[in-house]
Amino acid sequence: MDYLYDGTFEGLMTCIYYHYKKGKATGIYVISNYQQSIVYQSEIVETDILKAEIVSDAINRLISKEAYVHVYYCYLSNDAEKENLILDFLIFAFKYGRNTMNFYTHEKVLPINEIYKRVAREEHRVLGILRFSEIGGILYAKYSPDNDISILLADHFADRYKHEKFIIYDEKRKKVVVYANNNWEIKENINIDDIEFSIKETMIQKLWKQYFTDLAIKERKNINLQFQFVPSRYRKNMTEFK
Amino acid sequence: MDDNLFEKLRILSDAAKYDVSCVSSGVERKNNTVGGIGNASAAGICHAWSSDGRCISLLKILLTNDCIYDCKYCLNRVTNPIERATFTPEEVAELTIQFYRRNYIEGLFLSSAVEKSPDYTMENIYRALELLRYKYNFWGYVHVKVIPGANALLIQKTGMLADRVSVNIELPTRESLSILAPQKKVENILKPMSLIHNEISRAIEDKNHFSNAPRFVPGGQSTQMIIGATPDSDKTILNVSQNLYDKFRMKRVFFSAYIPVMSSPNLPAVSTMPPLLREHRLYQADWLMRYYYFNSSELFTEIEPNLDLEFDPKMMYALRNIDRFPIEINKASYEELLRIPGLGVTSAQRIIRERKNAQISYDSLKKMRTVLKRAKYFITVKGKYYGNTKLDPDEIKAEIRMKEIQKQISIFEI
Repeated sequence: MDYLYDGTFEGLMTCIYYHYKKGKATGIYVISNYQQSIVYQSEIVETDILKAEIVSDAINRLISKEAYVHVYYCYLSNDAEKENLILDFLIFAFKYGRNTMNFYTHEKVLPINEIYKRVAREEHRVLGILRFSEIGGILYAKYSPDNDISILLADHFADRYKHEKFIIYDEKRKKVVVYANNNWEIKENINIDDIEFSIKETMIQKLWKQYFTDLAIKERKNINLQFQFVPSRYRKNMTEFK
Repeated sequence: MDDNLFEKLRILSDAAKYDVSCVSSGVERKNNTVGGIGNASAAGICHAWSSDGRCISLLKILLTNDCIYDCKYCLNRVTNPIERATFTPEEVAELTIQFYRRNYIEGLFLSSAVEKSPDYTMENIYRALELLRYKYNFWGYVHVKVIPGANALLIQKTGMLADRVSVNIELPTRESLSILAPQKKVENILKPMSLIHNEISRAIEDKNHFSNAPRFVPGGQSTQMIIGATPDSDKTILNVSQNLYDKFRMKRVFFSAYIPVMSSPNLPAVSTMPPLLREHRLYQADWLMRYYYFNSSELFTEIEPNLDLEFDPKMMYALRNIDRFPIEINKASYEELLRIPGLGVTSAQRIIRERKNAQISYDSLKKMRTVLKRAKYFITVKGKYYGNTKLDPDEIKAEIRMKEIQKQISIFEI
């Protein structure tokens, strides 16, 4: 049976629950992307928070916290096969329990490790290269990440800019993190048009661009290295490259 | 903020850019202040990369470039006719906050030329820091320079507010310093280092008894040396580093390849290329000392006081000590694994974990992304040697050189 879910993490965990309690999953897919299989029947799974919690809890308790974090990061990735890689990994992991993550290169474990690394690397990179502008007293950042990492950024910036208000906009997924008064939330299906900057904002951006250019030591020029650290796809939203 | 600021920022960042340290790591701090801005992340965060490929983590500026000293290697020396500028503490604070709010930077690295006297300069640095912490309520990362010869009390007060401080050692020997920076005295450099080290130790000790004891430079102290301006060997340089790590528990010793910016009979000619590869090798060796349990003395022999420019220091070590190899991947201890060229901390940890379940095969080393093109000459896997040479330094070198040539030729055969 192919299980179809709504794209939420809880939905995915509910599918895992049904795999064990109802009938083996031949595959897990997001409803909106699903193409009817000739071989397998399909069933739409309704997300059930309690069942999802049972699975999440079991991963943490019987396998490890590390495994749970890996699965969650993998879920946030843009990998087209991620649901089935997670399913295969969890089938293996519930068998080997606390020892699972020691099988670093096992064929069921390695893909989860590699995807985790990719997402974690992008998360860390974006903590540095996300650029805010001040618009009417609110800090606003637009970006376009490979993976759906907004939720991973929220706590970091909420702590850092505790007494500010900010908005982080993922233009690829039309998703925003909105923070004010010690609280953040995520909203979907949002469109934000480009906004004009104030004179003061423009001046600070110019100061930064000047600083960024001046700081480079011309005797050490190394453009390739710069591209390795900041690939071109990230540059369109970075003040110093505009 | 006014247009004047562009000019000051241009002059005072230009003067600061040769300072290498831009690290923001070593301090974990949540934003627990009332109305404050900023926190610190233990791993450090890079925010931008300039066109020389260096990471920009901190706003790196001088408070002033107006200097009373006449160090031969330095652009700011008093006899050099250049534009001079000085920031007010308010300007420093305002710039830091505005850049920080936009996530351009992780904090501030404030250095200074010595204006009027060491005490006068140190006091201004302290003022800027105090303003930033208490008036602007900024709790992001701050690294400040300590000026050799400044009053101990001032240094202490500064250390209570900074995350990291550094005193530049400038050059690795007393002789080099007396030739190129005759006004700087070794004692004046070592004294504040020792003071900072003692204060850090005391703060850590206090913390063990009282959880709210004040912290003193929680990110530790660092220093920097210029490479290639004097004839000092790599052995001398790394022995000094080792001493600084051992005696003062230095967090980092930075190296800065000398860029010939002026002519002097005591300096390399202006046309000399900066020794970037040598600097890179020194950093690799420094890494071995800090994370791979190497001691500087293991890296050199009686006859060879310099690192090999062709091969990285770990490879060089392995080739010079071939009798300690090959190492069996399935039996070696963690420390032994770390001695294998091409194998880093992450790979070594993965091997140890995976070995709990089964013997490691050559194929799983590949999957762990171990750098086998270097490692294979120095290991056995389940008893088998995978290098297509004898275990002989000259043969291994010849083989690696040939592979390199083949790679270059194949570029032209597309």
